Amino acid sequence: MIATVPLRQLSAVWIQVTGTWCNLQCTHCINASGPVDPWLAPMAVADVERHVEDAARVGAREVYFTGGEPFLHPQMLELLAHALERLPTTVLTNGTLITERVADRLAELAARSRYSLEIRVSLDDPDREANDRVRGRGAFDRALVAIARLHQRGLPAILTATDLGTSARDLYERLRGLLAERDVAKPRIKLLPLFPVGRTASGGTPPDATELEGVDLGGLQCADSRTVTADGIYACPILAGLPQARLTAAGDAVSLSHEACRVCVETGASCRNG
Amino acid sequence: MTAITNGGSEHRRVALFGGVYSNTHALAAMLDDARGRDVEAVHCLGDVGGFGPHPDRAVALLRQSGAVTIQGNYDAAVAGGAPDCGCGYTDPRDNHFARLSYAYTLSRTSTEHRRWLGALPPSLRLRLGPLTAVLCHGSPRAVSEFLWESTTPDGMLAAMLDEARADVLVCTHSGLKWHRALGDGRHAVNVGVIGRPENDGRTDVWYTVLTSTGDGLDVEFVPVAYDHETLAREMEAEGLPGEFVETVRTGWWTTCLEVLPAKERARGRW
Repeated sequence: MIATVPLRQLSAVWIQVTGTWCNLQCTHCINASGPVDPWLAPMAVADVERHVEDAARVGAREVYFTGGEPFLHPQMLELLAHALERLPTTVLTNGTLITERVADRLAELAARSRYSLEIRVSLDDPDREANDRVRGRGAFDRALVAIARLHQRGLPAILTATDLGTSARDLYERLRGLLAERDVAKPRIKLLPLFPVGRTASGGTPPDATELEGVDLGGLQCADSRTVTADGIYACPILAGLPQARLTAAGDAVSLSHEACRVCVETGASCRNG
Repeated sequence: MTAITNGGSEHRRVALFGGVYSNTHALAAMLDDARGRDVEAVHCLGDVGGFGPHPDRAVALLRQSGAVTIQGNYDAAVAGGAPDCGCGYTDPRDNHFARLSYAYTLSRTSTEHRRWLGALPPSLRLRLGPLTAVLCHGSPRAVSEFLWESTTPDGMLAAMLDEARADVLVCTHSGLKWHRALGDGRHAVNVGVIGRPENDGRTDVWYTVLTSTGDGLDVEFVPVAYDHETLAREMEAEGLPGEFVETVRTGWWTTCLEVLPAKERARGRW
Protein backbone atom coordinates (compact mmCIF):
# COMPACT_ATOMS: atom_id res chain seq x y z
CA MET A 1 0.00 0.00 0.00
CA ILE A 2 1.25 3.48 -0.88
CA ALA A 3 1.46 6.07 1.90
CA THR A 4 0.16 9.61 1.44
CA VAL A 5 1.49 12.85 2.89
CA PRO A 6 -0.88 15.76 3.50
CA LEU A 7 0.29 19.35 2.98
CA ARG A 8 1.07 20.70 6.47
CA GLN A 9 1.56 24.25 5.23
CA LEU A 10 3.03 25.71 2.07
CA SER A 11 6.54 26.85 2.97
CA ALA A 12 8.67 26.43 -0.16
CA VAL A 13 7.58 26.92 -3.77
CA TRP A 14 9.85 25.56 -6.48
CA ILE A 15 9.57 27.05 -9.93
CA GLN A 16 10.87 25.00 -12.82
CA VAL A 17 11.46 28.17 -14.75
CA THR A 18 13.27 26.70 -17.75
CA GLY A 19 11.52 23.33 -17.64
CA THR A 20 14.13 20.77 -18.61
CA TRP A 21 16.05 23.09 -20.90
CA CYS A 22 19.73 23.05 -19.94
CA ASN A 23 23.08 23.78 -21.55
CA LEU A 24 24.56 20.72 -19.83
CA GLN A 25 23.44 17.10 -20.00
CA CYS A 26 24.59 15.55 -16.73
CA THR A 27 24.53 11.78 -16.55
CA HIS A 28 22.74 11.79 -13.18
CA CYS A 29 20.16 14.51 -13.90
CA ILE A 30 16.97 13.96 -11.92
CA ASN A 31 14.78 15.20 -14.75
CA ALA A 32 16.90 14.32 -17.77
CA SER A 33 17.42 17.96 -18.72
CA GLY A 34 19.46 18.89 -21.75
CA PRO A 35 19.92 21.28 -24.64
CA VAL A 36 17.86 19.42 -27.23
CA ASP A 37 14.05 19.23 -27.25
CA PRO A 38 13.36 19.72 -23.52
CA TRP A 39 10.42 17.48 -22.58
CA LEU A 40 9.18 20.09 -20.12
CA ALA A 41 8.82 23.61 -21.52
CA PRO A 42 10.17 26.85 -19.99
CA MET A 43 7.60 28.98 -18.17
CA ALA A 44 6.03 32.27 -19.21
CA VAL A 45 6.94 35.35 -17.19
CA ALA A 46 3.34 36.10 -16.20
CA ASP A 47 2.85 32.57 -14.87
CA VAL A 48 6.03 32.69 -12.81
CA GLU A 49 5.10 36.06 -11.34
CA ARG A 50 1.63 34.83 -10.46
CA HIS A 51 3.02 31.80 -8.61
CA VAL A 52 5.49 33.97 -6.67
CA GLU A 53 2.74 36.41 -5.71
CA ASP A 54 0.47 33.54 -4.62
CA ALA A 55 3.26 32.04 -2.53
CA ALA A 56 3.92 35.34 -0.77
CA ARG A 57 0.21 35.86 -0.16
CA VAL A 58 -0.34 32.50 1.55
CA GLY A 59 2.63 33.02 3.84
CA ALA A 60 5.25 30.81 2.22
CA ARG A 61 8.80 31.21 3.47
CA GLU A 62 10.73 31.11 0.21
CA VAL A 63 10.87 30.45 -3.50
CA TYR A 64 13.36 28.42 -5.52
CA PHE A 65 14.12 28.75 -9.22
CA THR A 66 15.29 25.58 -10.89
CA GLY A 67 15.21 23.83 -14.26
CA GLY A 68 17.05 22.93 -16.41
CA GLU A 69 19.40 25.85 -16.14
CA PRO A 70 17.49 28.92 -14.88
CA PHE A 71 19.87 31.47 -16.40
CA LEU A 72 18.91 30.27 -19.88
CA HIS A 73 15.57 31.99 -19.31
CA PRO A 74 15.78 35.31 -21.18
CA GLN A 75 13.95 37.17 -18.39
CA MET A 76 15.65 35.45 -15.46
CA LEU A 77 17.12 38.59 -13.90
CA GLU A 78 13.79 40.39 -14.12
CA LEU A 79 12.07 37.40 -12.53
CA LEU A 80 14.58 37.45 -9.69
CA ALA A 81 14.00 41.17 -9.12
CA HIS A 82 10.24 40.51 -8.94
CA ALA A 83 10.63 37.56 -6.57
CA LEU A 84 13.10 39.30 -4.25
CA GLU A 85 10.63 42.08 -3.59
CA ARG A 86 8.34 39.46 -2.09
CA LEU A 87 10.21 36.43 -0.81
CA PRO A 88 13.65 35.04 0.04
CA THR A 89 14.80 33.55 -3.25
CA THR A 90 17.20 30.81 -4.31
CA VAL A 91 18.48 29.87 -7.76
CA LEU A 92 19.87 26.41 -8.55
CA THR A 93 22.36 26.81 -11.37
CA ASN A 94 25.34 25.11 -12.96
CA GLY A 95 27.13 28.46 -12.89
CA THR A 96 28.21 28.38 -16.51
CA LEU A 97 26.22 31.47 -17.48
CA ILE A 98 27.30 33.62 -14.53
CA THR A 99 29.48 36.02 -16.46
CA GLU A 100 31.07 39.09 -14.85
CA ARG A 101 28.06 41.11 -15.96
CA VAL A 102 25.53 38.62 -14.57
CA ALA A 103 27.48 38.41 -11.30
CA ASP A 104 27.39 42.22 -11.04
CA ARG A 105 23.66 42.22 -11.59
CA LEU A 106 23.04 39.44 -9.05
CA ALA A 107 25.08 41.30 -6.44
CA GLU A 108 23.01 44.44 -7.11
CA LEU A 109 19.76 42.52 -6.77
CA ALA A 110 20.96 40.91 -3.53
CA ALA A 111 22.02 44.23 -2.05
CA ARG A 112 18.77 45.93 -2.98
CA SER A 113 16.45 43.30 -1.46
CA ARG A 114 15.71 42.96 2.23
CA TYR A 115 15.48 39.21 1.61
CA SER A 116 18.38 36.87 0.93
CA LEU A 117 19.28 35.83 -2.60
CA GLU A 118 20.91 32.42 -2.54
CA ILE A 119 22.82 31.14 -5.56
CA ARG A 120 23.44 27.40 -5.45
CA VAL A 121 26.09 26.28 -7.90
CA SER A 122 26.24 22.57 -8.72
CA LEU A 123 29.54 20.72 -8.69
CA ASP A 124 29.58 17.05 -7.85
CA ASP A 125 33.14 15.89 -7.48
CA PRO A 126 36.26 17.64 -6.16
CA ASP A 127 38.21 15.92 -8.91
CA ARG A 128 37.97 17.87 -12.18
CA GLU A 129 37.96 14.85 -14.47
CA ALA A 130 35.52 12.86 -12.37
CA ASN A 131 33.19 15.86 -12.19
CA ASP A 132 33.35 16.58 -15.89
CA ARG A 133 32.69 12.94 -16.80
CA VAL A 134 29.31 13.43 -15.13
CA ARG A 135 28.59 17.08 -15.86
CA GLY A 136 30.41 17.66 -19.12
CA ARG A 137 33.77 19.07 -20.13
CA GLY A 138 34.57 22.45 -18.60
CA ALA A 139 31.74 22.29 -16.05
CA PHE A 140 34.13 22.01 -13.11
CA ASP A 141 36.15 25.13 -13.86
CA ARG A 142 33.16 27.20 -14.87
CA ALA A 143 31.30 26.35 -11.66
CA LEU A 144 34.26 27.34 -9.51
CA VAL A 145 34.76 30.56 -11.47
CA ALA A 146 31.11 31.43 -10.84
CA ILE A 147 31.41 30.78 -7.09
CA ALA A 148 34.56 32.90 -6.89
CA ARG A 149 32.97 35.71 -8.92
CA LEU A 150 29.96 35.85 -6.63
CA HIS A 151 32.10 35.59 -3.51
CA GLN A 152 34.23 38.52 -4.65
CA ARG A 153 31.05 40.58 -4.87
CA GLY A 154 29.94 39.73 -1.33
CA LEU A 155 27.46 37.09 -2.42
CA PRO A 156 28.44 33.82 -0.73
CA ALA A 157 27.20 31.11 -3.09
CA ILE A 158 26.42 27.57 -1.94
CA LEU A 159 28.29 24.76 -3.66
CA THR A 160 25.74 21.98 -4.07
CA ALA A 161 27.06 18.49 -4.65
CA THR A 162 25.21 15.28 -5.33
CA ASP A 163 27.10 12.54 -3.54
CA LEU A 164 27.75 10.16 -6.40
CA GLY A 165 29.77 7.84 -4.23
CA THR A 166 32.72 8.17 -6.62
CA SER A 167 34.80 10.33 -4.32
CA ALA A 168 36.41 7.73 -2.09
CA ARG A 169 36.15 9.57 1.25
CA ASP A 170 35.67 12.95 2.83
CA LEU A 171 33.71 14.51 -0.01
CA TYR A 172 32.79 17.41 2.23
CA GLU A 173 36.35 18.14 3.37
CA ARG A 174 37.69 17.90 -0.18
CA LEU A 175 35.07 20.34 -1.41
CA ARG A 176 36.01 22.73 1.39
CA GLY A 177 39.64 22.43 0.32
CA LEU A 178 38.68 23.19 -3.25
CA LEU A 179 36.95 26.41 -2.19
CA ALA A 180 39.86 27.40 0.05
CA GLU A 181 42.21 27.06 -2.94
CA ARG A 182 40.04 29.60 -4.75
CA ASP A 183 40.20 32.06 -1.81
CA VAL A 184 36.56 31.52 -0.91
CA ALA A 185 36.70 32.57 2.76
CA LYS A 186 33.04 31.77 3.41
CA PRO A 187 32.67 28.22 2.14
CA ARG A 188 29.10 26.98 1.95
CA ILE A 189 28.40 23.41 0.92
CA LYS A 190 25.22 21.44 0.56
CA LEU A 191 25.37 17.71 -0.04
CA LEU A 192 22.49 15.83 -1.61
CA PRO A 193 22.03 12.10 -2.03
CA LEU A 194 21.65 10.61 -5.49
CA PHE A 195 18.00 10.15 -6.39
CA PRO A 196 17.02 7.20 -8.61
CA VAL A 197 14.98 9.22 -11.09
CA GLY A 198 15.50 10.71 -14.53
CA ARG A 199 18.77 9.42 -16.02
CA THR A 200 19.50 7.30 -12.95
CA ALA A 201 16.08 5.67 -12.48
CA SER A 202 16.72 2.10 -11.42
CA GLY A 203 13.28 0.51 -11.58
CA GLY A 204 13.12 0.13 -7.79
CA THR A 205 9.95 0.11 -5.72
CA PRO A 206 8.43 2.94 -3.70
CA PRO A 207 8.34 2.64 0.09
CA ASP A 208 5.39 0.61 1.32
CA ALA A 209 3.11 2.18 3.94
CA THR A 210 3.91 -0.64 6.36
CA GLU A 211 7.62 0.31 6.21
CA LEU A 212 6.74 3.85 7.21
CA GLU A 213 5.12 3.19 10.55
CA GLY A 214 6.73 5.47 13.10
CA VAL A 215 8.32 7.69 10.41
CA ASP A 216 7.49 11.39 10.75
CA LEU A 217 6.03 12.00 7.30
CA GLY A 218 5.42 15.63 8.28
CA GLY A 219 9.19 16.11 8.06
CA LEU A 220 9.30 15.20 4.36
CA GLN A 221 9.63 18.11 1.99
CA CYS A 222 6.39 17.17 0.21
CA ALA A 223 4.64 18.08 3.49
CA ASP A 224 5.51 21.75 3.03
CA SER A 225 6.71 22.27 -0.54
CA ARG A 226 5.25 22.24 -4.02
CA THR A 227 6.79 22.58 -7.48
CA VAL A 228 5.19 24.46 -10.35
CA THR A 229 6.05 23.85 -13.98
CA ALA A 230 4.70 24.92 -17.34
CA ASP A 231 2.35 21.94 -17.25
CA GLY A 232 1.11 21.90 -13.67
CA ILE A 233 1.77 21.48 -9.99
CA TYR A 234 3.88 18.67 -8.60
CA ALA A 235 4.73 17.19 -5.24
CA CYS A 236 8.42 18.12 -5.13
CA PRO A 237 11.33 19.24 -7.32
CA ILE A 238 12.66 15.71 -7.67
CA LEU A 239 9.46 14.37 -9.25
CA ALA A 240 8.37 17.47 -11.17
CA GLY A 241 6.98 16.52 -14.56
CA LEU A 242 6.26 12.88 -13.70
CA PRO A 243 2.60 11.91 -14.16
CA GLN A 244 2.30 10.09 -10.82
CA ALA A 245 3.50 13.19 -8.94
CA ARG A 246 1.16 15.61 -10.64
CA LEU A 247 -1.47 17.22 -8.40
CA THR A 248 -4.83 18.70 -9.26
CA ALA A 249 -4.34 21.42 -6.67
CA ALA A 250 -1.43 22.49 -4.45
CA GLY A 251 -3.31 21.41 -1.34
CA ASP A 252 -3.71 17.78 -2.49
CA ALA A 253 -2.03 15.07 -0.45
CA VAL A 254 1.02 13.49 -2.08
CA SER A 255 1.38 9.76 -2.75
CA LEU A 256 4.83 8.38 -1.97
CA SER A 257 4.57 6.39 -5.18
CA HIS A 258 8.04 6.74 -6.70
CA GLU A 259 11.19 4.81 -5.92
CA ALA A 260 12.92 8.16 -5.27
CA CYS A 261 10.54 8.75 -2.33
CA ARG A 262 12.49 6.04 -0.56
CA VAL A 263 15.60 8.27 -0.53
CA CYS A 264 13.77 11.12 1.22
CA VAL A 265 12.28 8.75 3.77
CA GLU A 266 15.56 6.98 4.47
CA THR A 267 17.94 9.94 4.45
CA GLY A 268 15.67 12.76 5.64
CA ALA A 269 17.06 14.74 2.71
CA SER A 270 15.57 18.04 1.65
CA CYS A 271 16.36 19.92 -1.52
CA ARG A 272 15.94 23.17 0.43
CA ASN A 273 18.91 25.21 1.64
CA GLY A 274 20.54 24.08 4.88
CA MET B 1 13.43 45.59 38.94
CA THR B 2 10.26 44.76 40.77
CA ALA B 3 9.18 41.24 41.52
CA ILE B 4 8.85 39.24 38.34
CA THR B 5 5.40 37.98 37.68
CA ASN B 6 4.31 34.93 35.82
CA GLY B 7 3.59 34.74 32.09
CA GLY B 8 0.26 35.87 30.77
CA SER B 9 0.44 39.05 32.83
CA GLU B 10 0.15 42.64 31.66
CA HIS B 11 3.10 45.01 31.50
CA ARG B 12 4.25 48.35 30.22
CA ARG B 13 7.94 47.50 29.91
CA VAL B 14 9.72 44.16 29.84
CA ALA B 15 13.23 42.90 29.16
CA LEU B 16 13.70 39.79 27.07
CA PHE B 17 16.72 37.72 26.19
CA GLY B 18 17.58 34.33 24.74
CA GLY B 19 20.52 31.99 24.28
CA VAL B 20 22.43 32.13 27.56
CA TYR B 21 24.68 29.34 26.27
CA SER B 22 26.22 28.90 29.74
CA ASN B 23 27.59 32.46 29.64
CA THR B 24 27.04 33.25 33.33
CA HIS B 25 29.14 36.42 33.11
CA ALA B 26 26.96 37.94 30.40
CA LEU B 27 23.79 36.81 32.19
CA ALA B 28 24.87 38.58 35.38
CA ALA B 29 25.80 41.75 33.48
CA MET B 30 22.53 41.73 31.56
CA LEU B 31 20.42 41.26 34.71
CA ASP B 32 22.27 44.18 36.33
CA ASP B 33 21.65 46.35 33.30
CA ALA B 34 17.94 45.48 33.16
CA ARG B 35 17.52 46.41 36.82
CA GLY B 36 18.46 49.98 35.91
CA ARG B 37 15.88 50.24 33.15
CA ASP B 38 12.62 50.24 35.03
CA VAL B 39 11.41 46.97 33.58
CA GLU B 40 8.51 45.20 35.21
CA ALA B 41 9.53 41.72 34.18
CA VAL B 42 12.41 39.80 32.64
CA HIS B 43 11.83 36.89 30.28
CA CYS B 44 14.30 34.32 29.01
CA LEU B 45 13.36 32.66 25.73
CA GLY B 46 15.42 29.54 26.24
CA ASP B 47 18.68 27.73 25.43
CA VAL B 48 20.36 28.11 28.79
CA GLY B 49 23.21 25.70 28.04
CA GLY B 50 25.60 24.91 25.19
CA PHE B 51 28.76 26.61 23.89
CA GLY B 52 30.11 27.97 27.20
CA PRO B 53 31.58 26.50 30.41
CA HIS B 54 29.98 25.26 33.64
CA PRO B 55 26.34 25.04 32.55
CA ASP B 56 25.09 24.54 36.11
CA ARG B 57 26.27 28.02 37.09
CA ALA B 58 24.12 29.70 34.43
CA VAL B 59 21.03 27.64 35.31
CA ALA B 60 21.50 28.47 39.00
CA LEU B 61 21.80 32.21 38.34
CA LEU B 62 18.83 32.18 35.98
CA ARG B 63 16.64 30.38 38.52
CA GLN B 64 17.78 32.69 41.29
CA SER B 65 16.97 35.76 39.15
CA GLY B 66 13.33 34.82 38.85
CA ALA B 67 13.33 35.49 35.10
CA VAL B 68 10.30 33.83 33.54
CA THR B 69 11.82 31.25 31.22
CA ILE B 70 10.51 29.24 28.32
CA GLN B 71 12.09 26.12 26.92
CA GLY B 72 14.54 26.16 24.02
CA ASN B 73 15.54 23.18 21.93
CA TYR B 74 18.76 22.85 23.90
CA ASP B 75 16.89 22.84 27.20
CA ALA B 76 14.51 20.14 25.98
CA ALA B 77 17.44 18.05 24.70
CA VAL B 78 19.47 18.35 27.90
CA ALA B 79 16.42 17.68 30.07
CA GLY B 80 15.53 14.54 28.18
CA GLY B 81 19.06 13.32 27.50
CA ALA B 82 18.36 13.42 23.75
CA PRO B 83 21.04 12.06 21.39
CA ASP B 84 21.78 15.56 20.05
CA CYS B 85 20.95 19.21 20.67
CA GLY B 86 18.17 19.31 18.09
CA CYS B 87 19.71 22.28 16.25
CA GLY B 88 19.17 20.42 12.99
CA TYR B 89 22.55 21.05 11.38
CA THR B 90 23.32 19.14 8.22
CA ASP B 91 26.83 20.47 7.65
CA PRO B 92 29.39 17.93 8.95
CA ARG B 93 31.65 20.60 10.44
CA ASP B 94 28.81 22.26 12.32
CA ASN B 95 27.64 18.88 13.55
CA HIS B 96 31.12 18.10 14.81
CA PHE B 97 31.16 21.19 17.03
CA ALA B 98 27.52 20.78 18.03
CA ARG B 99 28.28 17.26 19.29
CA LEU B 100 31.26 18.42 21.38
CA SER B 101 29.24 21.23 22.92
CA TYR B 102 26.22 19.06 23.64
CA ALA B 103 28.20 16.20 25.21
CA TYR B 104 30.00 18.68 27.47
CA THR B 105 26.79 20.43 28.54
CA LEU B 106 24.77 17.27 29.07
CA SER B 107 27.43 15.66 31.28
CA ARG B 108 27.77 18.76 33.45
CA THR B 109 24.14 19.69 34.06
CA SER B 110 22.80 18.38 37.36
CA THR B 111 19.77 16.14 37.56
CA GLU B 112 17.91 18.82 39.50
CA HIS B 113 18.63 21.46 36.84
CA ARG B 114 17.68 19.07 34.08
CA ARG B 115 14.36 18.49 35.80
CA TRP B 116 13.80 22.26 35.96
CA LEU B 117 14.69 22.70 32.28
CA GLY B 118 12.32 19.87 31.38
CA ALA B 119 9.39 21.54 33.12
CA LEU B 120 9.70 24.88 31.29
CA PRO B 121 6.77 25.85 29.06
CA PRO B 122 7.33 25.96 25.28
CA SER B 123 5.74 29.39 24.90
CA LEU B 124 4.01 32.14 26.83
CA ARG B 125 1.65 34.98 26.14
CA LEU B 126 2.12 38.46 27.48
CA ARG B 127 0.06 41.67 27.38
CA LEU B 128 1.97 44.82 26.47
CA GLY B 129 -0.61 47.54 26.82
CA PRO B 130 -3.28 46.70 24.27
CA LEU B 131 -0.99 44.31 22.36
CA THR B 132 -0.77 40.57 22.85
CA ALA B 133 2.70 39.12 22.48
CA VAL B 134 3.49 35.46 21.92
CA LEU B 135 6.90 34.48 23.29
CA CYS B 136 8.58 31.46 21.73
CA HIS B 137 12.06 30.08 21.24
CA GLY B 138 12.39 29.41 17.49
CA SER B 139 8.99 30.22 16.02
CA PRO B 140 5.41 29.72 17.19
CA ARG B 141 5.34 26.69 14.91
CA ALA B 142 8.56 24.90 15.86
CA VAL B 143 11.11 25.26 18.63
CA SER B 144 14.01 24.74 16.20
CA GLU B 145 12.81 26.96 13.37
CA PHE B 146 15.23 29.79 12.63
CA LEU B 147 13.64 33.16 12.04
CA TRP B 148 16.35 35.20 10.32
CA GLU B 149 15.66 38.73 9.22
CA SER B 150 16.49 38.00 5.58
CA THR B 151 14.52 34.76 5.25
CA THR B 152 11.36 35.59 7.14
CA PRO B 153 8.97 37.30 4.73
CA ASP B 154 6.14 39.55 5.85
CA GLY B 155 3.43 37.14 4.68
CA MET B 156 4.89 34.32 6.75
CA LEU B 157 5.02 36.52 9.85
CA ALA B 158 1.43 37.60 9.30
CA ALA B 159 0.36 33.94 8.97
CA MET B 160 2.18 32.99 12.17
CA LEU B 161 0.63 35.90 14.07
CA ASP B 162 -2.81 34.95 12.74
CA GLU B 163 -2.33 31.35 13.91
CA ALA B 164 -1.07 32.51 17.33
CA ARG B 165 -3.82 35.15 17.61
CA ALA B 166 -1.16 37.66 18.64
CA ASP B 167 0.04 41.13 17.67
CA VAL B 168 3.71 40.68 18.52
CA LEU B 169 5.88 37.65 17.79
CA VAL B 170 8.93 37.46 20.06
CA CYS B 171 11.63 34.84 19.44
CA THR B 172 15.35 34.06 19.70
CA HIS B 173 17.21 30.85 18.59
CA SER B 174 19.07 32.26 15.58
CA GLY B 175 21.49 34.40 17.58
CA LEU B 176 20.91 37.63 15.63
CA LYS B 177 18.47 40.31 16.77
CA TRP B 178 16.04 42.10 14.47
CA HIS B 179 12.72 43.88 14.50
CA ARG B 180 10.13 44.35 11.78
CA ALA B 181 6.97 46.40 12.02
CA LEU B 182 4.34 44.96 9.71
CA GLY B 183 2.22 47.62 8.09
CA ASP B 184 -0.84 46.69 10.14
CA GLY B 185 0.49 47.60 13.60
CA ARG B 186 1.83 44.13 14.32
CA HIS B 187 5.47 43.35 15.06
CA ALA B 188 8.07 40.60 14.97
CA VAL B 189 11.10 40.81 17.25
CA ASN B 190 14.03 38.48 17.50
CA VAL B 191 15.57 39.44 20.83
CA GLY B 192 19.05 38.11 20.03
CA VAL B 193 21.15 36.10 22.47
CA ILE B 194 23.34 36.97 25.44
CA GLY B 195 25.53 33.88 25.21
CA ARG B 196 27.72 34.79 22.29
CA PRO B 197 28.37 37.92 20.25
CA GLU B 198 26.49 38.86 17.11
CA ASN B 199 29.05 37.98 14.42
CA ASP B 200 29.81 41.68 14.01
CA GLY B 201 33.34 41.95 15.35
CA ARG B 202 32.14 43.28 18.73
CA THR B 203 32.45 41.32 21.95
CA ASP B 204 29.18 42.72 23.34
CA VAL B 205 26.00 40.66 23.51
CA TRP B 206 22.44 41.93 23.17
CA TYR B 207 19.06 41.81 24.87
CA THR B 208 15.81 43.61 24.17
CA VAL B 209 13.50 45.98 26.02
CA LEU B 210 9.91 46.21 24.80
CA THR B 211 7.83 49.18 25.91
CA SER B 212 4.15 49.72 25.30
CA THR B 213 3.61 53.23 23.93
CA GLY B 214 -0.13 53.81 24.05
CA ASP B 215 -1.31 51.70 21.16
CA GLY B 216 2.15 51.07 19.78
CA LEU B 217 5.39 49.31 20.69
CA ASP B 218 8.91 50.62 21.21
CA VAL B 219 11.68 48.11 20.57
CA GLU B 220 15.10 48.83 22.04
CA PHE B 221 18.11 46.57 21.53
CA VAL B 222 20.57 46.91 24.39
CA PRO B 223 24.25 45.98 24.10
CA VAL B 224 25.86 44.36 27.14
CA ALA B 225 29.59 44.49 27.76
CA TYR B 226 30.79 41.77 30.12
CA ASP B 227 34.04 40.16 31.21
CA HIS B 228 34.48 38.13 28.06
CA GLU B 229 38.17 37.47 28.75
CA THR B 230 37.34 35.62 31.96
CA LEU B 231 34.76 33.61 30.04
CA ALA B 232 37.34 32.81 27.35
CA ARG B 233 39.85 31.61 29.98
CA GLU B 234 37.25 29.43 31.66
CA MET B 235 36.36 27.89 28.30
CA GLU B 236 40.02 27.14 27.64
CA ALA B 237 40.43 25.62 31.10
CA GLU B 238 37.43 23.37 30.42
CA GLY B 239 38.91 22.20 27.13
CA LEU B 240 36.15 23.66 24.99
CA PRO B 241 37.01 24.14 21.28
CA GLY B 242 39.41 26.96 20.43
CA GLU B 243 36.97 28.00 17.72
CA PHE B 244 34.35 28.84 20.38
CA VAL B 245 36.89 30.82 22.40
CA GLU B 246 37.91 32.77 19.31
CA THR B 247 34.28 33.84 18.83
CA VAL B 248 34.11 35.13 22.41
CA ARG B 249 37.33 37.12 21.97
CA THR B 250 36.77 38.47 18.46
CA GLY B 251 33.00 38.78 18.07
CA TRP B 252 33.08 36.75 14.85
CA TRP B 253 31.30 33.40 14.54
CA THR B 254 33.61 30.54 13.59
CA THR B 255 31.13 27.65 13.83
CA CYS B 256 27.42 27.00 13.21
CA LEU B 257 27.83 29.15 10.10
CA GLU B 258 25.93 26.77 7.85
CA VAL B 259 22.55 27.95 9.04
CA LEU B 260 23.20 31.60 8.19
CA PRO B 261 21.40 32.85 5.07
CA ALA B 262 23.42 34.69 2.42
CA LYS B 263 22.79 38.18 3.73
CA GLU B 264 23.67 37.39 7.33
CA ARG B 265 26.63 35.25 6.27
CA ALA B 266 28.02 38.01 4.09
CA ARG B 267 28.25 40.35 7.08
CA GLY B 268 30.53 38.07 9.11
CA ARG B 269 34.23 37.42 8.71
CA TRP B 270 33.94 33.66 8.01
